Amino acid sequence: MDERPSILELVGVTKQFGGLTAVDHIDLKVREGEFFTIVGPSGSGKTTLLRMLAGMETPTTGDILLRDRVVNELPANRRPTCMVFQSLALFPHKSVGENIEFPLKMRGVARDKRKARALELLDLLRLPQSYYARNVTQCSGGERQRVALARAFAFDPEILFFDEPLSAIDYKLRKTLEKELKDIHKESGKTFMYITHSLEEAMVMSDRIGVMRAGRLVQVGTPEEIYTQPRDRFVSEFMGEVNVIEVRKGANGHAVGVELPGDFVLPGGAVPFETAHLVVRPESLRFLAGEGEAENHLRGTVYNEYALGSRIQYQVRVGEKVFIVERLRQQAYQGGLDQEVLIGWDAKDSVLVTD
Amino acid sequence: MGEAALPRDDSATPPQAAARRRLGLRAGPLYSLPMLTLLAVGFLAPLIAVIGFSFSEPRSFDWLAEPTLENYRTIFDPSNTVYLSFLWSLWFAFLSVLILAVICYPVAYGLAKVFGRWSMVITLLLVFPLFISENVRLYGWVLFFIKAGVLDGTLRALFDAGIGDFLFTPEAIVFGLVYVYVPFMLFPMTLGLSMVPNEVVEAAGDLGASRLQVFREIELPLAIPGIIIGSLLTFVLAVGAIAESKVLGGQSVIVITHDIEIAFTYSQNWPLGAALAVLLMLVIGVLVMTVLRYLDLDRILGRR
Amino acid sequence: MAATAGASRNKRLIWLWTGIMVVFLYLPVACGLLASLNQGRYFTFPIRRWSTRWWERTLDSIEISILIQTSITIALIVTAISVVLAFCGALAFARYNWRGRTLFQRLVLLPIFFPQTVLGLALLLWFNMLGLPLSWQTAVFAHLVWIVPIVTLVISIQVYSFDPALEEAALDLGASRWQVMTEVTLPVLWPGIFSGALFAFLLSWGNFPLSLYTTGADSTVPEYLYAKMVAGYTPGVPTLGTISTAGAALVLLGGYAIVVLARRARSGR
Repeated sequence: MDERPSILELVGVTKQFGGLTAVDHIDLKVREGEFFTIVGPSGSGKTTLLRMLAGMETPTTGDILLRDRVVNELPANRRPTCMVFQSLALFPHKSVGENIEFPLKMRGVARDKRKARALELLDLLRLPQSYYARNVTQCSGGERQRVALARAFAFDPEILFFDEPLSAIDYKLRKTLEKELKDIHKESGKTFMYITHSLEEAMVMSDRIGVMRAGRLVQVGTPEEIYTQPRDRFVSEFMGEVNVIEVRKGANGHAVGVELPGDFVLPGGAVPFETAHLVVRPESLRFLAGEGEAENHLRGTVYNEYALGSRIQYQVRVGEKVFIVERLRQQAYQGGLDQEVLIGWDAKDSVLVTD
Repeated sequence: MGEAALPRDDSATPPQAAARRRLGLRAGPLYSLPMLTLLAVGFLAPLIAVIGFSFSEPRSFDWLAEPTLENYRTIFDPSNTVYLSFLWSLWFAFLSVLILAVICYPVAYGLAKVFGRWSMVITLLLVFPLFISENVRLYGWVLFFIKAGVLDGTLRALFDAGIGDFLFTPEAIVFGLVYVYVPFMLFPMTLGLSMVPNEVVEAAGDLGASRLQVFREIELPLAIPGIIIGSLLTFVLAVGAIAESKVLGGQSVIVITHDIEIAFTYSQNWPLGAALAVLLMLVIGVLVMTVLRYLDLDRILGRR
Repeated sequence: MAATAGASRNKRLIWLWTGIMVVFLYLPVACGLLASLNQGRYFTFPIRRWSTRWWERTLDSIEISILIQTSITIALIVTAISVVLAFCGALAFARYNWRGRTLFQRLVLLPIFFPQTVLGLALLLWFNMLGLPLSWQTAVFAHLVWIVPIVTLVISIQVYSFDPALEEAALDLGASRWQVMTEVTLPVLWPGIFSGALFAFLLSWGNFPLSLYTTGADSTVPEYLYAKMVAGYTPGVPTLGTISTAGAALVLLGGYAIVVLARRARSGR
């Protein structure tokens, strides 16, 4: 697929704090110019991993290679990488311009050259040049974000690390900034490595995603792969609301429900198993007029409905189990609250995961 | 900041809430009353008494019976050497602040950033000497430095050679000032340094700053309010100090507070002592007011 | 903090320097203890003959037990009054926004930034003008002028971290102003108030410059020690000094233990 050389390579990287293993034998190659995102719940070790890559922690065992050179012990100020912090870590006593110029000043670049570069970067990040003299504490959340990014660019790093920089920003602005960040990535051609707890955010921006859990990389792949072929139940549930049906092996390649009565057609290429979980996304489930409309079906009662704008979501109870069904607003539907309905899906829209 | 917010024009606010807010506005002045009364009776009134005495007849005990500038004339008379005491006091205070700033910085840095869960215990250890009467502690140094004392005796026993005279010199006074005022520099400094976010320091390092550059560009500017408060506090207290010069300095140098005390006690010249005290208060008052004007106390003491 | 060799060496140096500082602060205290154990009247080091006779003499002395009683009485009264005044003061200092708050804050700081000797002499003049006879009661007042502002600062730091929404929520849930105070405000601010009380007691116990001019015929431990240092040194001086230090240490450690036990009891439940 993508044959660009790898800029960053992790070989069995492990970090222990006392008896606790925060990062557990991670192997990974990040390609030059890639937007790579690590996703995981809080406590999964993703921040520790990033801090090791940026040079703020050293791995207990394993190696970090930057362009084939081992950099385990190299301190942050001597690594050609730069990090955008969750808190942004803007210098509160310096103006926007002084913040952006900071890395240049550290290198002893002359004052007028520094200023010229800072103004260029303000342009690149779509901030007015008049912001040069403004105090950072007077900037809004989105502006501060851009200043932090400009400062990192001024450093001219080979890799930019991002530690959930958008997590404290409100939903609407976050959506804008996600797209903007992807545009900036494209324009700059630099390697970005991003961490977040939101797979949704990762999907929007990344070329590839690594899902982390309890210090380990569970799955690495393109957003498409992670979405359509989750490796296990954890990855599939991490993606958002999904319906999970516990099944065991049935006759002629079908599966039999454990908590639910029924016989389910499985997606093609399913691995052999004894017990497993069948994952069906809400948007793959639909209301049926008759049993012939889909390969698999269940009968239940509509318990509640939620308007989500362009889509409407339903809670459907099948026995003791609750299913989430989504339909587009314009699609036809003849159910109603507390009415009995038939829901179903085609085998190709489901994923079988063995934990 | 809740209750004290200005009343908003909000029709949804129930009437009780508005009443509560008004109560809050009154609570501030109400709670300040006991303290204000104490300060009026115990601080401002005595100061006015002193100022009044400074304009009274020399050697009189009648408050402003016949107002006169005689005391100030005596002090500013070219033949009077009391200005030397002022200069000594200011010089000693200045030296102490410089030395304290240097020796306290690493400890303050440790308390704010390095010691972690040990901070509490170490703080306790460092605070405690504050509660021992300074006479007792300074006298301990006399026992340490005196001829045949702890230091001299140890050196004699080990090397058969004692030390020269350190006690009862101006250097000993500065030593005493530095010793006594460690906590007053240390804790404001620690407060200042703990206002420097760790991430900001890490970011600076990540952006290529060396340790020294981090110190100069980030730590020092961000911690400066605490350092200023510490310096101001130690300077003011050192200018007004007396025990150090009496216990460790012998009579080698007379500091200004000592002059004031002499005027009040031995020479029984209250108006002259009062005039000296007024001048000292002026120096200190101008300094404190100028510096405090530039500091935001709420931010330093941790208001969110 | 990069976890590199240089950084960890710096950390070791900081620990070392702090250790030196602690030794520096306690060295004279240790010298006092040594001198109190010297048998002869005049201190020479190394000590030739050790003895506890100055301790026995000091502990048996009626004069000294009166001194200690006076010091404790003053410190207890100062503590009780200053905690109440400083609690109100801290609420005005840090809790409520009102016009004049900034001025109030500066005013509270003034006595702290003021030479105690001058304050003591000013109070002496003032008491004299009012015709008040000097005694330990006037010393209590003098201590208050200096200690209440300090305790106010100590409590204020706790008040700053107190979320006013807690009080509002309690009012909203139907508590009266008094109930809000006893159920919410006081329990939350308790640690600050307690450490304020410790400060008050210990600062009063060790105070010398204010006591010197305001106690009149009464005398406190630090005053007595000073008089004996100037004229009439015996090893009884460092003995009483050590007793005074040990007393303060006991109070401080006791207070610390109470805080730790209370915290443990609360989290244990």
